[in-house]
Amino acid sequence: MGDRLTPAAAWARAALLEPVGRRARNELLFCLAGIPLGLCLLVVVLWLMGVAGAVLLLSPPSGSMSWVGVVALALDLLGVGLAVVLATRVARRLGAVHRRLAARLLGTRVPAPPPPDRGRGRLGWVAAGLGDGPGWRAVAYQVVKLPLAFLEAYAVLWWAGGLVNLTYPFWWGLFRNHPPGVTLDPVPVATPFPGRLLQVATFPGTFGALALGLGMVLAAPWVTRAVVAADRRLLVALLGPGRLARRVRDLEHTRALAVDDAAAQLRRVERDLHDGAQIRLATLAMHLGLARETLADPGAADVARARELVDAAHRDAKQALGELRDLARGIHPPALDTGLDNALTTLAATSAVPVELACDLPERPDPAIETIAYYCAAELLANAAKHSHAGRVTVQADGRHGTLVLEVGDDGVGGADPDRGSGLAGLAQRVSTVDGRLRIASPRGGPTLVSVHLPLRT
Amino acid sequence: MRVVIAEDAAVFREGLVRLLEDRGHEVCAAVGDGEELLAAAAAHRPDVAVVDIRMPPTHTDEGLRAALQLRRDHPGTGVLVFSQYIETRYAARLLQGNAAGVGYLLKDRVADVAEFADALARVAAGGTALDPEVVGQLLGAGRHARGLAALTPREAEVLALMAEGRSNAGIAAALVISAGVVEKHVASIFGKLGLPPAEGDNRRVLAVLRYLES
Repeated sequence: MGDRLTPAAAWARAALLEPVGRRARNELLFCLAGIPLGLCLLVVVLWLMGVAGAVLLLSPPSGSMSWVGVVALALDLLGVGLAVVLATRVARRLGAVHRRLAARLLGTRVPAPPPPDRGRGRLGWVAAGLGDGPGWRAVAYQVVKLPLAFLEAYAVLWWAGGLVNLTYPFWWGLFRNHPPGVTLDPVPVATPFPGRLLQVATFPGTFGALALGLGMVLAAPWVTRAVVAADRRLLVALLGPGRLARRVRDLEHTRALAVDDAAAQLRRVERDLHDGAQIRLATLAMHLGLARETLADPGAADVARARELVDAAHRDAKQALGELRDLARGIHPPALDTGLDNALTTLAATSAVPVELACDLPERPDPAIETIAYYCAAELLANAAKHSHAGRVTVQADGRHGTLVLEVGDDGVGGADPDRGSGLAGLAQRVSTVDGRLRIASPRGGPTLVSVHLPLRT
Repeated sequence: MRVVIAEDAAVFREGLVRLLEDRGHEVCAAVGDGEELLAAAAAHRPDVAVVDIRMPPTHTDEGLRAALQLRRDHPGTGVLVFSQYIETRYAARLLQGNAAGVGYLLKDRVADVAEFADALARVAAGGTALDPEVVGQLLGAGRHARGLAALTPREAEVLALMAEGRSNAGIAAALVISAGVVEKHVASIFGKLGLPPAEGDNRRVLAVLRYLES
């Protein structure tokens, strides 16, 4: 039905359906919930101002205050003090509610800031509250939320007013069927501008109200969205963990990845040794032992058998050497010592798929960066050879603009997905340990281009 | 002697089969994992099984678990665990309760073909064969044990060889001393450890291990 629409028709259809969409509904709910939450601060401020105002009014214009005034002022000061002490904690609670709302209704997941210090004793508790940075940011959010809550109420007005206006033609006939000649007061019509009410006095006029309502309802989702977008930005900036806390969390995460990665590499080396060179050498020792036994008695020595055993031992030794060499190169390719470009040249030459290599590295990156870049290239080349059925692979390493950009592309079948355990997730993890990033463009049917951005210095 | 081999590295497994067949033993089955080992043991009732510890599917300790299972199911079958590593824990689990018909050797030991064959025969006959590394680790782990400190270095050496499962003659040959001197050391060790002298290699090992476990 909707698949043969012209772009303009499709746009019109989307615009008409927007007000009844799930997103518009959720954003409206967010605004509705935001109004009472935002007004929380107003309650506190009004209460304190009210008490202060009462004190000023009750006290005589000149001379000393009455005892009632003194008590009220003391209460007010107490209230201010209490508000300040409790501010961060209450704001954190409200912030948590906002975060949950944003997650549920807007799909914006803001991680919670680190919890406040508990503090020791009552004074410590107060001090911890006063020194709670994320808590004060939550307070700041509540302060900014106050005007925002009015804007959210305004957005709700577009919905409510528009919907009410839509109803005019339907009830007009029910209540306005007076005999001709009777003059009735005109009926007010909601407009997007509070305080400026239009008025309708005739039945045809109600269609004007209907048109206005329709316009308001169609526009309401966008008004709401604008306000919600502003709220969302504030929410992310003020209710999430601060920049430093986020950085700490990122570092903790990538450090854990680095540790896991190192452990996994050691495990792999151990496994390769155990299943490879070690078992070869044990077999070699066995063959030599048998050969020695065969030769032990010079009189009865079976030379042909001894030769066969020595041949087997010789074969074992060569295989063990080959396996050890591969393993050593896997731990650290010797060519890397002379530079990433040399190592990549060797890598390209030994690749199963023809490789077109271009290196432009005016300065050498740090060794750790070179190593990571090399392993990315090796893994990506191996992937291209194994999974992509590519006929040609390009490898580019560019270190000219302060970062090392490694790009490995192939003309294969594409469809590389880090979530399906192709080693790409492991690469992304390793790259993230030095604040690098890995991007994959691999549509089904190809081509695949993986780019790795790494800092030159660790 | 009828032998079953469980070893996942084909090249080593084939070498073992050949070695044993050359010596006139019958290799009933040579398999690549623990489950096949248990099936082969049930089918062939061998005198002894040679078992690698790390085998598929997880490459951790399935060989050891299969060996323990084998000992429970067929107490008459000797089990020689044959691995590239010696893990004290594994040795302790293997020897728990009963050291009869148990061996734990490093794969390196196969280089001395005659010694390996002797050890296998000992295990098949219900004796014990422990790698010097196993003994060293168990002794190290049990160093705090009361009485060990009283041993002279020579006596400690004799105890270690004893724990490997060697006879007095074997110990004498290994240390290049006379059998009489060995007997004297053994008696002295038993005295210092408070153990009554007993006949048979296996009981000596048992006594030593029991003492070490305490």
